[in-house]
Amino acid sequence: MELFRQTNINFLKYKWWAIGASWLLIAVGMFAVFVQKGLKFGIDFAGGTQIALRFGQRPDLDHIRKILDAANLGDTGIQRYEEPEKNEVLIRVQQQRQEGRDVSHDVQNALRAGLLGSAEDASKLDLNREGRDNLAARLIAADPDHVAGRPDITPADYYGRMAERIIAYRSEAGIFHSAPDFDRIPDLSPTIRAWLKANAYPGPFVLLSAENVGPQVGADLRKKAVLAVVWSIAGMLAYIAIRFRSLPFGVGAVVALIHDTLITIGLLAILGREFNLVVVAALLTLVGYSVNDTVVVYDRVRENQRTPKKESLESVINRSINQTLSRTVLTSGATMLVVIALYFLGGEVLNTFALTLIIGIIVGTYSSIYVASAIVVIWKDFRSGRKLQVVPAAKPVAPPPPPAAASKKKKSGRR
Amino acid sequence: MSKRVRWRLLLIVLVVTAMISGYVAMGYANARREWIGPGGPSLTDALKKGVRLGLDLRGGIHLVLQVNTIDAVKAERDNAAELLQTQAREQGLTLGAAEFPNERSFAIAVTPATDERKLDDTVKRYLPDWAVSTVGGKWVFTLKDLALRQIEENAVSQAVETIRNRIDEFGVAEPLIARQGKDRILVQLPGIDDPKRVKDLIKSTAFLELKLVTGGPSSDRAGLLAPTAGQVPPNLELVEGAVTAGQREPVWYLVQKTAVITGRDLKNARPTQRQLGGNAVSFFLKAAGAEKFAKVTGDNVGKQLAIILDHRVKSSPTINERIHDQGEISGSFTPEEANDLALVLRAGALPAGLTYLEERTVGPSLGLDSIRKGVTASAAGALFVFAAMAFYYRLSGLNAILALILNAIMLLGAMALFGATLTLPGIAGFILTIGMAVDSNVLIFERIREELRAGRAPKTAIDNGFSKAFATIIDTHLTVIISAIFLFQFGTGPVKGFAVTLILGLLISVFTAVFVSHTIFELMYGRRQHIDALSI
Repeated sequence: MELFRQTNINFLKYKWWAIGASWLLIAVGMFAVFVQKGLKFGIDFAGGTQIALRFGQRPDLDHIRKILDAANLGDTGIQRYEEPEKNEVLIRVQQQRQEGRDVSHDVQNALRAGLLGSAEDASKLDLNREGRDNLAARLIAADPDHVAGRPDITPADYYGRMAERIIAYRSEAGIFHSAPDFDRIPDLSPTIRAWLKANAYPGPFVLLSAENVGPQVGADLRKKAVLAVVWSIAGMLAYIAIRFRSLPFGVGAVVALIHDTLITIGLLAILGREFNLVVVAALLTLVGYSVNDTVVVYDRVRENQRTPKKESLESVINRSINQTLSRTVLTSGATMLVVIALYFLGGEVLNTFALTLIIGIIVGTYSSIYVASAIVVIWKDFRSGRKLQVVPAAKPVAPPPPPAAASKKKKSGRR
Repeated sequence: MSKRVRWRLLLIVLVVTAMISGYVAMGYANARREWIGPGGPSLTDALKKGVRLGLDLRGGIHLVLQVNTIDAVKAERDNAAELLQTQAREQGLTLGAAEFPNERSFAIAVTPATDERKLDDTVKRYLPDWAVSTVGGKWVFTLKDLALRQIEENAVSQAVETIRNRIDEFGVAEPLIARQGKDRILVQLPGIDDPKRVKDLIKSTAFLELKLVTGGPSSDRAGLLAPTAGQVPPNLELVEGAVTAGQREPVWYLVQKTAVITGRDLKNARPTQRQLGGNAVSFFLKAAGAEKFAKVTGDNVGKQLAIILDHRVKSSPTINERIHDQGEISGSFTPEEANDLALVLRAGALPAGLTYLEERTVGPSLGLDSIRKGVTASAAGALFVFAAMAFYYRLSGLNAILALILNAIMLLGAMALFGATLTLPGIAGFILTIGMAVDSNVLIFERIREELRAGRAPKTAIDNGFSKAFATIIDTHLTVIISAIFLFQFGTGPVKGFAVTLILGLLISVFTAVFVSHTIFELMYGRRQHIDALSI
């Protein structure tokens, strides 16, 4: 099957329209970033605390908000997270002025106290909260299976393994909804089950993740992110300059690259997506990908320029774009398939990452034709136009090299 | 089969076998390390553990701490001031009280009676790291830059060492404790799911001092100082008692400034149960400390001894008899607290306070969820790509799919062998590699089609296609690798994992797309003398 059989589209005919469209997109995006709502920085860059919890029952966000307001934690944001049927909630707390306050611990304690009320005895274990070590320590102390003193096994080993099984089941199932869930934990002795029922209860939520980033680290990461993007663009410029030994090609590729980065950042701002470390990773990948696409076209242009033939640069570039068109579409398509899979199936963390790449791939493919190539044409047009004006007609523009002996179109040997 | 093809095939088989066996071997090694109980890990266990998982997939704690090196500098300043006073006293010099204008300097007033030349000699002999200047009848001592840097440096490396000791005692599999920059420490503890306890454990300075009590305990601070006209005598100090439950007012102790023994004299410490119930920590002293302790307790029977932890009196038992080499710290401890206190005492005190700059905890269930989602997304993405390739390039598409599968297998093997960490973004990098590795095949196949269209014979078309696409393939790979290297430089944890996966995957893809695919073509078409058409 072939999608494009020797197409001959005059892409560059529309270059001015395309450049206008690009400027418009960049302007709208930058308006969103700088004037309208700005980039929504994640806690990596903004600092603060972010806690993801999974609840046993459908969480009542208003109730949660009331409890947290009463706990006096300052500005808190509460939202649902991931698929709604999983009862997951994301809580964000702004940077604390108070030094050394363990916000994630305070939030959990406040919620636990607020949601449980006095329903459970404080001396009992919250099985949705305990980690493996504490659980094992409590089991060792209680010794329901009377392991102490047995010659074949130590209590630490035995109850360590039991605690592991309980935690493994909880991780697998997501949460203990109610005490009868304790019966579903595989490979526990009946005595341990009975002990769990008497001494433990399923708390209201399981901690999925807690992140706390101080203001210093946030500022550091912001600086590092900007530096990484700037340096990788510089790296690309250097690579293209060395590889193609041509200023217009280098400038074309880098302008295309900056164009892609700006449009992507702008669209993320318009869509209100959170800007975090993973998104920066996607942006840097996009930098590589954008140049990758451009280089394929450039490589072809160079190859086509080698076959001596009276042909304008614009026509050579047009021909090269057409020749590489089916590769461009296929590769972008394949990468797009993968990224779309990530977008829909990869979960919350990878969702914005995938979206960044989706935007980036579309814009990058477009820009390798309409920005990178167009700039080379415009640059050369401008130069030759100026030369014609400055230099009188008596001195013609550099004459085309004499055609090599018996060179036909077929002579396109290896490099 | 020509000789050339046979060699190529052999090389491919060797490389792939090496990668697979490397993966399995690492898997067994990792699984055995984590194995609890009898027996050993099975092949399935090994296959699950070949690549080390990052904290975001496996659960655990990531901490960045800052060492407050200023604490160590202050301690050095106080010591120097103390040393100067002691030495001056021994030599019969009269000096005024010390003042502390800032963290790295102190000032001492000299009276007309002071023999300044003698003082100068003392300073030169005992305080070589301090620069002296005189300002209005005061000698101002400032810590020299070199010494300051040395102290800060030592504080950080000693803090790293102490934290490492504590973590080792606590028992965490594969902890990472590394210095970051000038005064930061990175701590990564996989599999730990109780952040509060570990954080307290790391942060507690655990500075233990035993000092003789001369007055108190009393909640009346002024009353304690009444005999000395409200002033704290130079050889004594006021220390606050640790707050216990149900206690309303702070309690004060007047104790001797010089400690009988400190945490450095400890040989061992362990949690104990008291006969009357409750938990305590017993400690045992090294020989030198024990000697001193025995002498002081022998001389002071009937007096109180304050056990001071982090500048708070934990308890003040009365000395009943001469004690040689052991003692007990009691207070209202839970079993965990007693255990952790014994642990930090064994592991040594921190030279300076710590501040948490960054902390990330991932629970085990989130990690499991992320793995599930990542694997589903990867499988779906790969299937889409495979389907597209088979549909578009038919038999040659199968060739590309084979190359992609080998790419994935080798990437896993390479990650296992290099000890690279797989993170959630790393899974994205993994699947992205497959999307990008397709690019090489597409470049080659499109070239072959062009050659065929230009009327070349199928075999020539294949060879030309590969050789013409080669330079472009190198270009496209290098561009992405360059940006991935910058990403690696910038990234922390998960993002670094992404960069590593991407770089390894792209390097391998050059091999699979160019070398492996070409060999498969030769296997498919090489034997036949004449081919009418390629399935492409």
